[in-house]
Amino acid sequence: MAAHPPIDTEDPAHSLTMAVIEASLNPLLLLDGELRIAGASISFCDAFGIDPATAVGRVLLELGIEEWDDPQLRALLGAVASGTPQIAAFEMELERPGFDTRCLIINASLLVYEDLDQPRLLVAVADVTDARACERSKDEAVERLAVLLREVRHRVANSLQIVSAVLLQNARRTGSAETRDSLTDAHHRVMSVAALERQLSASADGDQSVELRTYFASLCDNIAASMIVDQNKVSLVATGGGVVTARVSVSLGLIVTELVINALKHAFPDGRTGRIEIGYQAHGPNWTLSVSDDGVGMPNDPALIRTGLGTSIVKALARQLEATVDVAPAAPGTIVWIEHIQVALVGDDSGQAPAVVSSDGRRTSPERTI
Amino acid sequence: MNAPHAAERGKTLMIVEDEILVAMTLRDELETAGFHVLDLTDRHEEAVAVARESAPDLALVNIQLRGHDDGIELAQHLKELNIPVLLISGQVSRAQSAKTVAIGSMPKPYSALEMVGAVRYLLAHLRGDESRGPPAGLEVFDTTTDHFAPAG
Repeated sequence: MAAHPPIDTEDPAHSLTMAVIEASLNPLLLLDGELRIAGASISFCDAFGIDPATAVGRVLLELGIEEWDDPQLRALLGAVASGTPQIAAFEMELERPGFDTRCLIINASLLVYEDLDQPRLLVAVADVTDARACERSKDEAVERLAVLLREVRHRVANSLQIVSAVLLQNARRTGSAETRDSLTDAHHRVMSVAALERQLSASADGDQSVELRTYFASLCDNIAASMIVDQNKVSLVATGGGVVTARVSVSLGLIVTELVINALKHAFPDGRTGRIEIGYQAHGPNWTLSVSDDGVGMPNDPALIRTGLGTSIVKALARQLEATVDVAPAAPGTIVWIEHIQVALVGDDSGQAPAVVSSDGRRTSPERTI
Repeated sequence: MNAPHAAERGKTLMIVEDEILVAMTLRDELETAGFHVLDLTDRHEEAVAVARESAPDLALVNIQLRGHDDGIELAQHLKELNIPVLLISGQVSRAQSAKTVAIGSMPKPYSALEMVGAVRYLLAHLRGDESRGPPAGLEVFDTTTDHFAPAG
């Protein structure tokens, strides 16, 4: 049973208040204008060691060893008793001998009854000690995980740096031009992943999304530094952009690396000048990655088109991304599209060639050769 | 690859890095680019001794060194010797906290050629030459020219 005074009124509102207090599983108090307890829920008495039989009539601030006599609480409740409609979310620490300090959130509202001379204060008390401890524990866990993530990132960065160094050392020391070429390509593939790792490490909040234009620009800088003797002759440019997950970006980065290296090796023979452009456009779930150059273009004789490891890597990664690979002349030069089509876009007026959705959901363009 | 500026060719560099393969690759690329690289070191005291003897124009310092030596403490020591430091570490947040003792940070993983570009940029920056932009990945700390006299 809740502690409540003998019924001294027939006011139905007051009766209702007492019934609510009696039924409440959360600590509730009804105080009079002198801050004396007019009613207290069993949950309040249980939570704060109050004898329900003697609670009524006692001044709240004098309970126990006056642990409730917080100056701010006294002032706030006094203000409510004097007519302030309510106080919300007052936070205090309750210190009781032999018990851990509890963190309480207190709300109080003024109740005015027609048949009572004095106002009443309905006081709700929420013990948030455990919730706060949980929050602190969660914050600490998040911080620990962030430290671990930073440590993992540091180790990954170190490992990639060592792998990259070994490949470059081998490339410098081999006497075979073909082997040196292969080792340098392998170094670029490692650095493609490394550039992504560096971009992710720069994200202070551990965000795992990757802004592609920045990433592709970083890849271009790295490839240009090692493969372009005179950067006034051939330029690498990243256009468009979008944000994708780290998992998708690592595949896109490797594809770009392969296609740019391929263009640098074959599109600009004999010191020819030119430009390679990496573009990325997304429309909802659909996206297109393109790498185009304005070089000499593909040989007319298909027998002269070599397909090596780079081609295999591009096709495999595109398949992993559920995308198609299309290569076409660009007049001048060559363009390669990597295209992921999840849904057909109705009325797409992006300026691209009209698309045809095939029975298996893949979009094809008749002018491209696959 | 861009040709090194005449003012940078022959500048002396010091590499303090506990991963020997990484240090060797850096040394090879920097020497190919025309820089003079001092003997590789991976400990604090050893690095300070080399720095006192040879007064390099720039020191490339990893944060994690051999024997639990700390690259940021070394950077502080080198700053007192008026030797500018470029931090080369994957410990990005620690590098960020060392802005008062280093002139920049090039976080791992970097390509050795990117590092050559970073070194060229910083040496030019120390001379007050801002004609070229910093390469990808390099973070330049603003205190550079306030704390170090232009290299001769």
